[in-house]
Amino acid sequence: MSPRYLLRRLAHVVPAVAGILVVAFVVIQAAPGDPVLALAGQHGDAAYHAFIRQKFGLDRPVLEQLLVYAGNVIRGDLGHSWVHGRPVASLVAERLPATLLLMTTALVLSSLAGVLLGVAAARRADRPTDLGVRLAALVGYATPSFWLAQLAALTLALGTGLFPVQGISDARRAWTGWRHALDVLHHLALPALVLAANELALTARLVRAGVVDALGAEYIRTARAKGLPERAVVRHALRNALLPVVTVIGGRVGMLFTGAVLVETVFAWPGLGQLLLSSVQTRDTPVLLGLFLLVSGAVVVTNLLTDVAYAWLDPRIRYE
Amino acid sequence: MTRLLRPTALLNLALLLVIPTTVGAQTAPARGGTLVVAISADPGHLNPAITTSGATHAAAELLYNGLLGRDERGEPTPELAESWTIEQNGAAYHFRLRPDVRWHDGTPFTSADVKFTFEEVLLKLHARTRASMSGVLAGIDTPDIRTVVFRFKQPYAPLLLQLDATEAPIIPRHVYQGSDPQTNPANLQPVGTGPFRFVSYRKGAEIRLARNPTYFKPGLPHLDAIVMRVIPAAGTQVLALENGEVDFLWAVPGPDQSRLRTDARFRLAQTSYHPGGSNCIMTVGFNLQRPLLTDVRVRRAIGHALDREAFLRQVLFGEGRVAAAPISSELAWAHAAGLAMPAFDRAEAERLLDAAGWKKEGEATRVARGVAGVADGARLAIDFLHFPAFSKYGELMRQHLGAVGIDVTPRPLEPAVFAPTVFKDRSFDTNVISYCNGPDPEIGVRRMYHSSQIGPAPFTNAAAYRNDRVDALFDQAGRTVERDRRSALYRQIQEIVVQDLPYFWLVETPTTRAWAARCDGFRPWTGLFAEAASCKP
Amino acid sequence: MSEILRTPAGLAGGALTVALLLLAALAPVLAPADPFASVGAPLMPPSWSHALGTDDLGRDVYSAILHGTRTSLVVALGVVAIAATLGVFVGAVAGFRGGSVDELLMRGTEAVQIMPRFFLAVIVVALFGPGLDRVVLVLGLTTWPAIARVVRAETLSLARREFVDAAHALGATTGRVVVRHVLPNALPTALVVISLNAASVILLEAGLGFIGLGDPRAMSLGYLASNAQRFLRVAWWMAVFPGAAIALAVLALNLLGDALGDLANPRRPSRGRPA
Repeated sequence: MSPRYLLRRLAHVVPAVAGILVVAFVVIQAAPGDPVLALAGQHGDAAYHAFIRQKFGLDRPVLEQLLVYAGNVIRGDLGHSWVHGRPVASLVAERLPATLLLMTTALVLSSLAGVLLGVAAARRADRPTDLGVRLAALVGYATPSFWLAQLAALTLALGTGLFPVQGISDARRAWTGWRHALDVLHHLALPALVLAANELALTARLVRAGVVDALGAEYIRTARAKGLPERAVVRHALRNALLPVVTVIGGRVGMLFTGAVLVETVFAWPGLGQLLLSSVQTRDTPVLLGLFLLVSGAVVVTNLLTDVAYAWLDPRIRYE
Repeated sequence: MTRLLRPTALLNLALLLVIPTTVGAQTAPARGGTLVVAISADPGHLNPAITTSGATHAAAELLYNGLLGRDERGEPTPELAESWTIEQNGAAYHFRLRPDVRWHDGTPFTSADVKFTFEEVLLKLHARTRASMSGVLAGIDTPDIRTVVFRFKQPYAPLLLQLDATEAPIIPRHVYQGSDPQTNPANLQPVGTGPFRFVSYRKGAEIRLARNPTYFKPGLPHLDAIVMRVIPAAGTQVLALENGEVDFLWAVPGPDQSRLRTDARFRLAQTSYHPGGSNCIMTVGFNLQRPLLTDVRVRRAIGHALDREAFLRQVLFGEGRVAAAPISSELAWAHAAGLAMPAFDRAEAERLLDAAGWKKEGEATRVARGVAGVADGARLAIDFLHFPAFSKYGELMRQHLGAVGIDVTPRPLEPAVFAPTVFKDRSFDTNVISYCNGPDPEIGVRRMYHSSQIGPAPFTNAAAYRNDRVDALFDQAGRTVERDRRSALYRQIQEIVVQDLPYFWLVETPTTRAWAARCDGFRPWTGLFAEAASCKP
Repeated sequence: MSEILRTPAGLAGGALTVALLLLAALAPVLAPADPFASVGAPLMPPSWSHALGTDDLGRDVYSAILHGTRTSLVVALGVVAIAATLGVFVGAVAGFRGGSVDELLMRGTEAVQIMPRFFLAVIVVALFGPGLDRVVLVLGLTTWPAIARVVRAETLSLARREFVDAAHALGATTGRVVVRHVLPNALPTALVVISLNAASVILLEAGLGFIGLGDPRAMSLGYLASNAQRFLRVAWWMAVFPGAAIALAVLALNLLGDALGDLANPRRPSRGRPA
């Protein structure tokens, strides 16, 4: 990977971030009524509105306002919530870890299962196993996460008594150390599985397509001709098929966040989902804007990271 | 067959996920154990003296005490005050405080805390205490550290009923003095005198309380700890109770009650006490400052168009009563039976609307033809503000009023925004509020009708109703001590407001608590509901 | 087109999509009741009089689902119409012009593509108030990049072919070339992307309804699912059927998209972008 690639890839971040900021700004400006209402969350007293006006330079020309807004956001200032009486960034930071835990677990679970299923399907392309896997993955994708969550709570949790239906830990026991970790895992299981089921389809498809392609490729045929065991052959094919899986992680982050907040509201998972829901009900727009900026930023960063990782993993890549 | 990736990682994970249930069964809790309570909203802060918000009161009352408590019949019992005397025919009250009470931080509790809490906090910020007492209280004296004297400008009957932790929780002067009680950090690190002390508060997740080892009531509490879990969805709360994750629910949805009642693992009890107040009536408020609603015929038409039996059946699933009068039937002596409330009658509603100048012209929604203050051709469209938890009321309003040509747009708003929108900005046409009458009409009813109670304090006179005769009657009832005479005055008031209809009273809403049968000793009729509770492991 | 129906997936997807479109179009006729009217006792399980039961307000769940499906598809069609128009325009211009115009448009496309549509829609509804029009608009304005990419790729490969030069030589305008030659060639691949996008929009709309941001005047499947949350233990039918309707609609469009993909690109295994 050349420094030149890295620089050009980094340069791509600029229009992406600018796009996000402009969209947020346009929405604020276009909203009915004074923009101060969007930035203050449609409530608060006169002094608070004056503070917001001054902070966002709302008495200055529009272009200047955009620069002030962009400057605030880039410095990590996501605004201020009147309802909570605190900066949005700290509200989000409190709840982000729980959501990230749920998302990364679902990402890992769905990637592992997606790779397994994708390979199984590719090895038996167009046979019943393949069709079954493809259909199952598709059904998993088509099922709304909140619905799957409701069904899982009813059947897997209440039906078997094996899983809790709410929360991130057992309220009765203030465990610490490894027992706390086990307890959190126990509570994480259902929400993460539900979210992973949604996410499985893409990975399974990509892996299947990649392995099928690779199995027909020159170097694999060479390997086979050299008498390599089938297992090693498939491992070779898989290595190439995995690259696209890495690259789409960035694209999945936005969907993962969406799925996570919906699943969280069913399982009373103490993450961003509850913050989103209560902010929707209070029309606490600074928080909602902050969540949009956070998720957008996360997508930009993961896209960058996965592209760089891709280039690093595959030395053949050149920037076109 | 060859394998690519061994799924052992997944298997290991699956095993780990199952282990905690077996580990958990071994450790038996010592003395009383932990009670897990589901609460439906994150309270934001834990100071019940500055708000009547149900979310804060549900989560925080166990940390505090009132001067008095309340028994099952609503009669006052000793609490921070061990005895009291009533003087000057109810114009002065002497309270003798317990000598042995300490705040959770070890500081002794004194009469100065009581005076400070009332003067600096409750009378300014607690909606019901402020509305009922601020006009009639002459002063609070503290002749010594164990004596508090309330002096009134006139005889004041209900005082003993409004000194519990719901109406008047006492907060520590040494913590709050010289600060803004609404922003004091102690609202998130509360210091009280109550049976439980504060341990931790994870926003949006849970609040942990632990036994107060130096509680002034000997032997209490039994429980070691209480965890208040934030579970917004009522359905998830019930699942959590049935799955054994939660021990206590404040309110079981109607349709789930029969199933839980027949299940030996649970106990249920109905009460008219709510964490934010008691004897509550779901009440539609009309903004009398809006030209659409100034004509009483329109308000009466809305009353006739609403099928209150349907509200009872479909929203409350039969748990409750259609409101027969503006004052709750739980306050039997003040409740005026046999009033002529608008009955469900769509034809009458249509007739009244026609007469008021709202005509049906082909479209589903009526339009103005000669309505004072309204442009001709304007649609009869109103908004309807409600807490998100009351969205069913919005849907039925929309359904019932739509049938007579009134277009209703429900606007769900969380309590923190609902209150300023309605009471400060007065930016609404209609709303629904659970107005809790409290233990006495002076405490919870007066604030709805008296013209001195029009904004900006939350949950006061939402309609902006002004009637000199009603004001005078309330003032007279407030200084009257004999129940019979007060009862007659409240009847007169109710007769007038049923004619004026600044509000329309829908349903009385008792609620049903549920708890795990292994737990016992709850007092569902007070905010200190778990003071004497205990749970078998 | 008839070839799509030869594969089982294509047949199922096609048939389901057509059935859904018919149900949605005819919802007002087919629904036995007004979806907002209380027509029976509350929380009645499925029976002869209410095939899918009633909800807590005694409303007919079957009627609500028909109208909810209609809302979902109206939103999906609206979004797809906006997205297809924008996508074709941007893709064709980028492909034909090439150079810095292409570079600029593609950077813009990337910037829009990373926009988290759900969170953006949440803000728009919170600020502008609930309504289907703004949901359609905001999702339409953020859903076009995938279509633009497909059209651009197709344009790039066609722009170098002889018949395009010939058409130009004969005096055809670029717009005419796009409509006559590029679009028909790009259509099969574009349709794949469009059907997958329609599916994702249905999920997004349901998600908005679930968190209470649906249009209160239009029945929504997401609203039905969130209402069911309160009655999970007493009325499984309130949760099961609306969710199943969403899943079926999304599945149908995905199967159709897959079949179209196989058709457009018979040598490659099916692939898609379910996001």
